[in-house]
Amino acid sequence: MANELRFLVVDDFSTMRRIVRNLLKEIGYTEADEAEDGVVALHKLRNSNFDFVVSDINMPNMNGFQLLNEIKKDDKLKHLPVLMVTAEARKEDIVMAAQQGAAGYIVKPFTKATLEDKVNLILTKLGLK
Amino acid sequence: MNALQVKEPVAIGPLELTPDVHQRIGSLTRQLHDALTGLGLTDKVRNWAGELPDAKSRLSYIARLTGEAAEKVLNNVDQAKAHHDHIAAETRRIGALIVKDPVAAVAKGHVMNFITDVEEATKEIDKNLTDIMMAQDFHDLTGQVIAKVVNLAANIEEQLVQLLILTAPPDSGTKPPEAAVAPTPPQQPVLQGPVVSPENNPDVVKGQSEVDDLLASLGF
Repeated sequence: MANELRFLVVDDFSTMRRIVRNLLKEIGYTEADEAEDGVVALHKLRNSNFDFVVSDINMPNMNGFQLLNEIKKDDKLKHLPVLMVTAEARKEDIVMAAQQGAAGYIVKPFTKATLEDKVNLILTKLGLK
Repeated sequence: MNALQVKEPVAIGPLELTPDVHQRIGSLTRQLHDALTGLGLTDKVRNWAGELPDAKSRLSYIARLTGEAAEKVLNNVDQAKAHHDHIAAETRRIGALIVKDPVAAVAKGHVMNFITDVEEATKEIDKNLTDIMMAQDFHDLTGQVIAKVVNLAANIEEQLVQLLILTAPPDSGTKPPEAAVAPTPPQQPVLQGPVVSPENNPDVVKGQSEVDDLLASLGF
């Protein structure tokens, strides 16, 4: 069932992590954990089971592009859909994210409807909804 | 004596703009120019000059975003309070009707209407609360912009300290110029962060619909 899917929300700003988690809960996805950068996220992904990653790009230690790259290089993780939620609005960044295997791209500031649309679209494409 | 009173002008011999003073100012200017050139700072000074208007627009962006967030929160609080006041008033009215004639209150549909009212109001209040939560995203966006402005200020400070060390008198115990001109470590490539002025920048998207169009055009 869709609402049993487990999300990992990656963002260096705790406010944004809370916002995304709360929105996911409102949309119907109550299972979510948080990570403050790519390093922590990768550690959690490798040591626990997740179904979906929502990640910022501009973060310290390991940014969202590097995290995406690590996920797609890892045989055990590469199936995970990664939705980028970021303030990076350059076209080259959007194209790069898509080419690296991101499942979707949302620019901040965004609305609840946008997040809901993208998450549901990705899950539908993957047959998880 | 009143501090605001204008004092009688006094002779300030050494600071009068004599040819000698003029020559000394010229000499200082030359020293400063040479120092900046020696430090490789001329380009940096030019860059600072270029970055300062950018810093100004970034600060304006912060002011705008925080202002809009505050406005959004206050508007939503006003709306939520109006819904809440309505429900509170209706609760008192229905309570009085039930006390007066419970059967009539139900039979005439007052209770059912009240339940419908409560359901609608809670939906609206829930939407207001979500909007208040979403308004807090300014923290992330302005935080990134503030970090960039702080970085610029720190850069300027660092370079000015280097300049100070270089131009200090020989007996002041400061490090020799060679130490001051040590190159700063190369900075990591920095992501752009929030777009402060997207209007005249064709390289950035202006909203989610442009992101979707771009990805669709690429077949994603």
